[in-house]
Amino acid sequence: MKAFGNYHPATLMIYFISVLLVAMFVSNLVLQLLSLSGAILFSVMLQKRSEILGNIGFYIPLFLLIAITNPLFSHNGVTPLFFLNGNPVTFEAIIYGIAIAVMIVGVMIWFKCYGEIMSSDKFLYLFGKAIPKLSLVLSMAFRFIPLFKRQLQKVNKAQKALGLYSSKSFMDKLRSSSSVFMAMISWSLENSMDTSDSMKARGYGLKGRTTFTLFRLYSDDIVLMTLCVSLMAITFTGIATGLTDFHYYPYISNLNRSPSAIIIYIAFGTISFLPFVIEVKEALAWKYYISKI
Amino acid sequence: MEILHIENLSFRYPKAEKYAIENINLSINSGEFIVVCGESGCGKTTLLKLLKKELAPAGEKSGKVFYNGLSQDELDDKVSAAEIGYVLQNPDSQIVTDKVWHELAFGLENLGIPTETIRRRVGEMASYFGIHDWFRKNTDELSGGQKQLLNLAAIMVMQPKILILDEPTSQLDPIAASDFIATLQKLNRELGLTIILAEHRLEEVFPIADRVILMDKGKVLLCDTPKNIGQNFGKIQDDHPMLLALPSAVRIFNALQIKDECPLTVKEGRNFLDKHFSNFKCADVELDYNYNNEVAVELKNVWFRYEKDLPDILCGTTVKVYKGEFYCILGGNGTGKTTSLNVISGLNKAYRGKVIVDGKPIKEYKSNSLYYKKIAFLPQNPETVFLKDNLKEDFLEILEALDVPKNEREEKIIKVSEKIGITHLLNKHPYDLSGGEQQKCALAKILLLEPTILLLDEPTKGLDAYSKYTLKTILAELKKDGITIIIVTHDVEFAAENADRCALFFDGEILSADTPSRFFSENNFYTTAANRMARHLWSHAVTCEQVINCCKKSGGD
Repeated sequence: MKAFGNYHPATLMIYFISVLLVAMFVSNLVLQLLSLSGAILFSVMLQKRSEILGNIGFYIPLFLLIAITNPLFSHNGVTPLFFLNGNPVTFEAIIYGIAIAVMIVGVMIWFKCYGEIMSSDKFLYLFGKAIPKLSLVLSMAFRFIPLFKRQLQKVNKAQKALGLYSSKSFMDKLRSSSSVFMAMISWSLENSMDTSDSMKARGYGLKGRTTFTLFRLYSDDIVLMTLCVSLMAITFTGIATGLTDFHYYPYISNLNRSPSAIIIYIAFGTISFLPFVIEVKEALAWKYYISKI
Repeated sequence: MEILHIENLSFRYPKAEKYAIENINLSINSGEFIVVCGESGCGKTTLLKLLKKELAPAGEKSGKVFYNGLSQDELDDKVSAAEIGYVLQNPDSQIVTDKVWHELAFGLENLGIPTETIRRRVGEMASYFGIHDWFRKNTDELSGGQKQLLNLAAIMVMQPKILILDEPTSQLDPIAASDFIATLQKLNRELGLTIILAEHRLEEVFPIADRVILMDKGKVLLCDTPKNIGQNFGKIQDDHPMLLALPSAVRIFNALQIKDECPLTVKEGRNFLDKHFSNFKCADVELDYNYNNEVAVELKNVWFRYEKDLPDILCGTTVKVYKGEFYCILGGNGTGKTTSLNVISGLNKAYRGKVIVDGKPIKEYKSNSLYYKKIAFLPQNPETVFLKDNLKEDFLEILEALDVPKNEREEKIIKVSEKIGITHLLNKHPYDLSGGEQQKCALAKILLLEPTILLLDEPTKGLDAYSKYTLKTILAELKKDGITIIIVTHDVEFAAENADRCALFFDGEILSADTPSRFFSENNFYTTAANRMARHLWSHAVTCEQVINCCKKSGGD
């Protein structure tokens, strides 16, 4: 189920850019934890059960590895806990290691969700507007690659039946695969002649080309976009005014617990959990709908 | 109303001595269904391309083409792009984009039509052609028939007034081809669309055309209704190669020279035979068939699938092909006919059962010993056989790979080329050859391996009637040399004319192997047009020649 993925690509892009900006560049521990938990919940909704297990097996060791590496190599901080090979292992370094792990794993999971949601056609749609030729070229490339692969298989098979590939010597193999490659190049040129005829026949190159797309901007998109932008505005104001400033060295700074800071935490928390909430809402609505049938 | 007018049109390719087309005068009315036929190389494609200015080849051109009273130079680019639609031969290479919906919208995008209008038109077209089920798919996932339908829909969405098609069904299997032709007929009937269709498989399109243009060496030989062409063709020239391409009913009529109206369809042909021959008795076709008792290829209970989780393609296939036999495997699309050839040629390995080639299990052939002087395999796309820019180099390379001594190479090439009749093509680039020539050259290349067993996958695909005839004579020649020939084909006519035995591949098994006469006469639907016409009189007559002979022997009028 991808309820969130059904939003307009522009909405999705704005969403991912804002979340990733915070997730990548803000060191505040609360914001980082919010970002990580939002990412985890969202990706759990996007994946099948079997995949989730595999991911846990990947991300938890990664998390631990990053968290442990920092205190082993960084000896900054004012609170040494114990000494390892004559080097101090400090409390600050341990916490900073955990914070980095939260950030890196969080960003990775967000990118994973991004990959799942923003398929190539959505990406092309967004950036094709800026560079219309590019989107057509990419679309043609995506068309051509499987065609080329299939032809290559056919040629390989035909040549194998001619006894060309059965020789065991390396030079023979090199020679036969290089001639297959050359033949594929002539085939590609021949094929592109036809494609260009087909494009010309349908008026390619006339003035005033438009770009068609299946995506539509619905009112829901506008609502989500506005929500996103306003919550982000709040968060960024907080970051700019230093409300969320946080540092780990030489000692860990106090967490800002003023009401205005809490507003920022809530604002970013809402953004971070938004996709998860949307997915859950859709899942529940669906369940309810089925139970009614 | 006249929609297209062609005046004294001649064209010559750069550096060519002869004109590709010469002095063509035609007038085509709005709503006509026109079929253009002729041997390959007769100038069909050149003529069609000249009708659409975007595709006109470079060369020396004289004469004029008028669309709706406007000459091509005066015609607006947008009007020309939208109103004259052109569908090419190869379903694959004319698809431009990766998504079905994008392909449908491509032409409209070029015309600069706003998104909302495109959405509506694309939706309308997708529903009309039944594309909605695969609207969001990748173009690569479609079958050949679907691809060609998509190409047609992508043109129709631009709302053309004339539709030009250059052999659109030559790469399709017979079922997809009839569906495609039926769609064209529907467009013509329901929308009054003018259609100009170049075809070499005439059995189906000939009767439905309003007019047929018969071209010969760049000139229009005949341009008339199908009835009149059928009636008069034999009188003009009774050994013209195009006679082979005409529907079976017309061929039988022409050979018998009876004064009556020319039948076009199977139904008319049946009535025609009834009327003239039902009162005369004649012996049926003889059924004897003697085969060599030595087995060339044997499959014993062979099972094969491509991947562990995929269904079985071959389920207990059992076949025996005798030495020197011409064996035809027929069957629908995607049933595993090609796979069975792959298993025989060792390209795919069976996971159960035995494959025995020339008395020895296939596993015992080490490295390329199976492919030298034993089995040769000609794949469906002959162009995949060539690797070099020049045929002779290509032939030399394969001989080098086979370690043939240098001084014998030249001699071998000349011997094979003379046998196949391609000596004049040896210095050409393989891609510059026509489909029939490519097929012959590919055959020549695999004959350099001196096979005793020849496997051919769909050898008649995309060939015109005359090239088929040449292929037929070549194969008969090879058979005389004692080569065992196994072909996989959709082409029932070709199988009926050439095979010693035919078999039906269905559901992973090879069924009912028998002589063509017995094989086809027991089928009701899956049989030749000639047999469907004459089966009530002579049930074992399956080819046009057999029907004609029976008619002559029976002594009717």
